[in-house]
Amino acid sequence: MKRREFLRILGIGGAGTGLGFVLGKVTQTPGAKLIPYLVPPEEIVPGVANWYASMCAECNSGCGIIVRVMEGRAKKIEGNPGHPVSKGGLCVRGQASVQRLYNPDRIKGPLKRRGQRGSGDYAEVTWDEAAAELAKNLSDLRKSGEAGKFYLLTSQLHGHLNQLAANFMSGYGSPNHIQYELFQNRNLLYANQASMGLNTIPHYNIEHTKYLLSFGADFGSTWLSPVNFSKGYGRMRQGEGARGKLVQVEPRISVTGANADEWVPARPGTEAILALGIAYAMVEKGYNRAGDASAWRAALSAYRPKEVAAITDVKEERIFEIAKEFAQTRPSLAIGGEGLSSYENGASGLVAVNVLNHLAGNLGVKGGVLPNPDDPLRAAVDMNKRITALASAAASSKVKALAIYNTNPVFTTPKAAKLEESLKNIPFIVSFSSFMDETTALADLILPANTPLEDWGDGFAEPAAGAPVYTIMQPAVSPVFDTKSLGDILLSLAKSMPGNMGPKLQAQSFAEYVRNGWKELYSKNRAMASGTADFDDFWDKTLQNGGWWSQEPSRRGLSVSTGAASANISNKPAKFDGDEKQFPLYLITYAHPMRLDGRGANLPWLQEIPDPMTSVVWGSWVEINPKTAESLGIKEGDTVSIESPSGRISAHAYLFPGIRPDTVALPLGQGQVYGRYAKDRGENPIGVLPLVENPKTGALALNSTRVKVSVASPTGRMVKMEGSTKELGRGIVKTVSPEEFSKMKKEA
Amino acid sequence: MAGIFDKVKDTLNSYRTPGYFKKLDHKWTMVVDLDMCNGCGACVAGCYAENNLPVVGKEDCGKSRAFSWLRIERYVDGEYPDVKVKFIPVMCQHCMKAPCEIGCPVYATYHNQDGLNVQVYNRCVGTFTCATYCTYDVRRFNWFSYKWPKPLDQQLNPDVTVREMGVMEKCTFCIQRITAAKDKAKDEGRGVKDGEVLPACCQSCPTNALVFGDLQDPESRVAKMVNNPRKYRLLEELNTDPSVIYLKRVMNDGKSEE
Repeated sequence: MKRREFLRILGIGGAGTGLGFVLGKVTQTPGAKLIPYLVPPEEIVPGVANWYASMCAECNSGCGIIVRVMEGRAKKIEGNPGHPVSKGGLCVRGQASVQRLYNPDRIKGPLKRRGQRGSGDYAEVTWDEAAAELAKNLSDLRKSGEAGKFYLLTSQLHGHLNQLAANFMSGYGSPNHIQYELFQNRNLLYANQASMGLNTIPHYNIEHTKYLLSFGADFGSTWLSPVNFSKGYGRMRQGEGARGKLVQVEPRISVTGANADEWVPARPGTEAILALGIAYAMVEKGYNRAGDASAWRAALSAYRPKEVAAITDVKEERIFEIAKEFAQTRPSLAIGGEGLSSYENGASGLVAVNVLNHLAGNLGVKGGVLPNPDDPLRAAVDMNKRITALASAAASSKVKALAIYNTNPVFTTPKAAKLEESLKNIPFIVSFSSFMDETTALADLILPANTPLEDWGDGFAEPAAGAPVYTIMQPAVSPVFDTKSLGDILLSLAKSMPGNMGPKLQAQSFAEYVRNGWKELYSKNRAMASGTADFDDFWDKTLQNGGWWSQEPSRRGLSVSTGAASANISNKPAKFDGDEKQFPLYLITYAHPMRLDGRGANLPWLQEIPDPMTSVVWGSWVEINPKTAESLGIKEGDTVSIESPSGRISAHAYLFPGIRPDTVALPLGQGQVYGRYAKDRGENPIGVLPLVENPKTGALALNSTRVKVSVASPTGRMVKMEGSTKELGRGIVKTVSPEEFSKMKKEA
Repeated sequence: MAGIFDKVKDTLNSYRTPGYFKKLDHKWTMVVDLDMCNGCGACVAGCYAENNLPVVGKEDCGKSRAFSWLRIERYVDGEYPDVKVKFIPVMCQHCMKAPCEIGCPVYATYHNQDGLNVQVYNRCVGTFTCATYCTYDVRRFNWFSYKWPKPLDQQLNPDVTVREMGVMEKCTFCIQRITAAKDKAKDEGRGVKDGEVLPACCQSCPTNALVFGDLQDPESRVAKMVNNPRKYRLLEELNTDPSVIYLKRVMNDGKSEE
């Protein structure tokens, strides 16, 4: 039996409710706990696992997952083999999300602040009391005509939860729903909109490309859709046809960079100029396959490889070589990741990458950039709704009530944003977080929401597969603690508010809301209806399969005009804060492969599994080139102080030859105050960052300061799992050259 | 004369074959394509989740007591800017001539009919001999009985024993999954099909770098992959005859000498 069939048989959905619902029914009545197993629920056979198809919510890529549930408990999460994004694989973070569900530090029920704000002194209250308090605060605000002073601050929401939040806010009368995450792809969305007129992130078809030019995209561990790209990477290397080549441009070798055939350590902040230098080299030599060569030569005249070489610290010949190989290997693909977009002028770098793809004829072709269909719910990130806008509104007392869900901006915004101080001005803060964190600690009322494995939801994956992918999230288990779905909280809140909140908030539960939403999609989309008897039949199949997807590609044409490009590119390197003499080193901060922006820090597996590049566990570190370290008198494991004009933190030194001597790198995510596994793990690197945001998109520039590094008084110890970084002649990882490999392939 | 020599050699060799089996039921084999592995660590997480591996914390990690049955080794060669980084996932190699099996005084570790190097927790008295003999440093010792703070214990896999203090453990090739697949095949009156057994690491791998199967089944993927000219085995010169087969990574400055 194939895995897929196995799923179909075992996947629940027949009743369309899920085991979680059944269990919820039987466990909620006191005294009924023993009885159900005399006549066990139909789905439960002790010792036999049920698998529920759902969606992973650890990052925004929307991987389809299957959850192994035995006797009502989630045991293991695997990738959904039928899902076009995850294709059966799942990353470290997705697999660890079961530890988010069963985390001992979860907030176990509604809490109301008793002591001073921030003191952490909370009293337990019932859901009814908490909901009444919330409704009273919000209805009083609305009655006094200040509905617009209510702000909703969430992570990037998806699908129908996003729609529900929008409906709630418009029904309430406030335009202020801010979606904030550190890695929200705002620059990428902007760059694609500005240069190609795309409203969605396209699919980067790594699987079929033969030459992948990556500008700071750590696509194997953190960027956009790591599982999908990794699946593609494996096929690119050892799939059909010739072996694809990977060239990585970044100042510090990332997990993806470690796998590259060539590493191009351009000077930090000049990668965009390098991309345009390559583009100029292409048109100069007449390699370009699309676009008018003379028009582009004029548009790119400021990027002659000779001058670019001086700025970027990459030799002129190498620029020409890359240009030639990029243009002549078919198909090729250029991508720009966080390493590129995290500069102050990040969006322009991403436009430069689009220019490269346009000139090489990679847009809309297999192995290149494939457009994705539009989000069926027309959701879009509003670039003007920023965390800094909230901070300034709160500072001038224009915010009367704030609701927070699933985001921790106090931890992830630089001190200069003065977010914590401003939030303290807000008279009423409610948090729907399931965990105590730096932002939720300011809340007056906490109504803990379900974690994704206990909740309904859906997502219309953006970096998807170049074709529609609608993924459903369904509860795999009943809530472990006394928590509720955010959708349910909003729906019942809407009902308890005096006055009309509009017709869109009538559903009895969020489960019903999602189902109704899918019914509407189903009625509009003929492709969804094909092969199903009616909506009920379709819905059952959707819950079994984990969603609905089709192979129908988007047919939108893509191109970049010289005008759109010229308006967005610049030949100035990205600005770095701090005087070059006083602060001699560039600072690169990056999303950690396990902890990302910090959300994974309290999951014990994500602390204990060694960092792929440094093998450090349970701690934070700074990566320094051994030569730089020697000149500063720093030895491996020393506690060093990292000082920028904006602040100072300390970390342990990790000597790593895969980083430019003029650069140091800090992983994000450690340095949290709450959580038994996350606390006391070093200091938060955000503490040395200035507040630099892209004026057009509001994205925070993470690579925006210079630092100085010096030995500090020792604190703690850096634990790393590596013995030696050398093979010592043992021939552990054996290699063959590409030439030899192609000979092998011919002989076979 | 030559006949006698051959006979003596065969007899000696048969004693070198653990378990003295003439024929195995299966020969479970894992093939790891190092050109596809990108070092992300998803396999390690899969192993932690499937096999109830305890989390030991910073202090014990520092004493080399971390439990990862499967680890990703990372090697860094060269100086800036010519730096080469290589990854290799290393788990129990299920050696057919395993040094650990020779050492164990209580036969807690032995070779079974499936070609697996198995560890019987009930027999283990914790002499640490196997870990000392192991060529690949893949054996892990329970220095303590580890606890899972509630409700993290609800995640524990009921198909796998939670080990107690004083017991040695290591990668089992997810023997619980192999057993389940064999049981199912037996119920249906057939043999185990290729691809039916997937250890947690192979299942989760985002690049499909890990492939698992029965080498005795000529139609299996691994049986076809072992003919790959890139094939090698880890520290093969020590004659441990490992069941894990690596395929060499393709690298620009790749050397081909053995």
